[in-house]
Amino acid sequence: MALFLPSFGFGNIFYASILLVNAIAVLSEDRFLARIGWGTSAAADPGFGGAPDTTSVKARLVNLIASVRTLMRIPLIFVNSLLILYLLILG
Amino acid sequence: MHRPTYANPPPAHSPPLHHPVPQHVSSVPHLRSPPPPQSQSQPQQHYGYPTGAAPAPSAGGAYIHPGFGGFMSDPTAQMGFQVGKSAVMAGQEYVEQNFNRYVNVSALKHYFNVSNSYVINKLFLVLFPWRHRPWSRQQRLSHNGQDGFFLPPREDVNSPDMYIPVMAFVTYILLSTLLAGLHGAFHPELLGSAATYAFLVVVFEILVIKLAIYLLGINSESQLLDLLAYSGYKFVGIIVTLTATEMLGGMGRSGFIGLAVFFYTYQANAFFLLRSLKYVLLPDHSPSQGGNVFLPDSAPNTGSNVPYTVSRTQRQNRSYFLFLYSYGVQLFFMWILSR
Repeated sequence: MALFLPSFGFGNIFYASILLVNAIAVLSEDRFLARIGWGTSAAADPGFGGAPDTTSVKARLVNLIASVRTLMRIPLIFVNSLLILYLLILG
Repeated sequence: MHRPTYANPPPAHSPPLHHPVPQHVSSVPHLRSPPPPQSQSQPQQHYGYPTGAAPAPSAGGAYIHPGFGGFMSDPTAQMGFQVGKSAVMAGQEYVEQNFNRYVNVSALKHYFNVSNSYVINKLFLVLFPWRHRPWSRQQRLSHNGQDGFFLPPREDVNSPDMYIPVMAFVTYILLSTLLAGLHGAFHPELLGSAATYAFLVVVFEILVIKLAIYLLGINSESQLLDLLAYSGYKFVGIIVTLTATEMLGGMGRSGFIGLAVFFYTYQANAFFLLRSLKYVLLPDHSPSQGGNVFLPDSAPNTGSNVPYTVSRTQRQNRSYFLFLYSYGVQLFFMWILSR
């Protein structure tokens, strides 16, 4: 009846979340995000006279992506290297 | 109590002694062990622990019947007992202080302040929410006029509690493992994996809500425990689905009865969440705002200092999200949890 996999645990969730955060972190600011208008400066300053727009969904999403990228760059380096060593050794 | 009648008649005079006479002569005098006043008053002064019970057993412990056992009548052992008792109380106090730093125990107590009638009404509400009329939580202003607190679940049936979700969660884990065992597929790891699965579902739901609150700019003051409680109410419906499917349906969840019960509990849960989360995700629907819900301008904020003018599109977005969450996300999660 219950088809829970016995091997389902925190490990898979952990790998998946690390992969997702890596995917967000490798988005290039000037090559990709600015092209599609999701750059941090473009979304924050609509014109040179107006106040930055911080309340729309898109602005918040851009802000979230930028903050994840700046905050998680350095810890991700360590976590990735640990994971690589772990997976190399234990297969 | 029937006393057996003796064959020989009782003696005319009352027998001299019938109470037990101590057979051994205890050489240790019947001491009242000196309760060291400093080690007893310290727990009362320094820790402020509810020591109402502490002096009584220690005073009672000081007065040990000499026939208790050889080792307790020794005053040294009694003093060691006192020291041990105060050490245990000190340890309890230390653990409690440190625990209070991580888990807000007094806030938790509010969520477990339920009564029997509340539980029954709430269960009925989760399974049949369509006739319930006022869905807003009742507040009560505190005495000094600051913004009040919500009534505890005992007095307000709309208030979320943690008792039902916790019970439903544990029951769901046990029930799914039991059903697996009935089908001959039991192994003890199922308990852990079911627990992990359900826990991850709850965590993911709360992440979705928190992300939406941030993205949609909702100034929500709802607590984490509230969201946990609302996530836990769907386990009630899942338990009903599992039980009904097992007892009535022959083909499991894909059978007719299974699908019907699942669809009903899903609709009930979705409506319940829609009505309850309206006050969490759309906080400007409170009656103090007046009846005028549509603001004339639909432009986004121009950076003015008014923090809380919600535009029409934003309100629409929030309503869309509420609807999507109550029906879409819950459908997904209830489906995978009803396996």
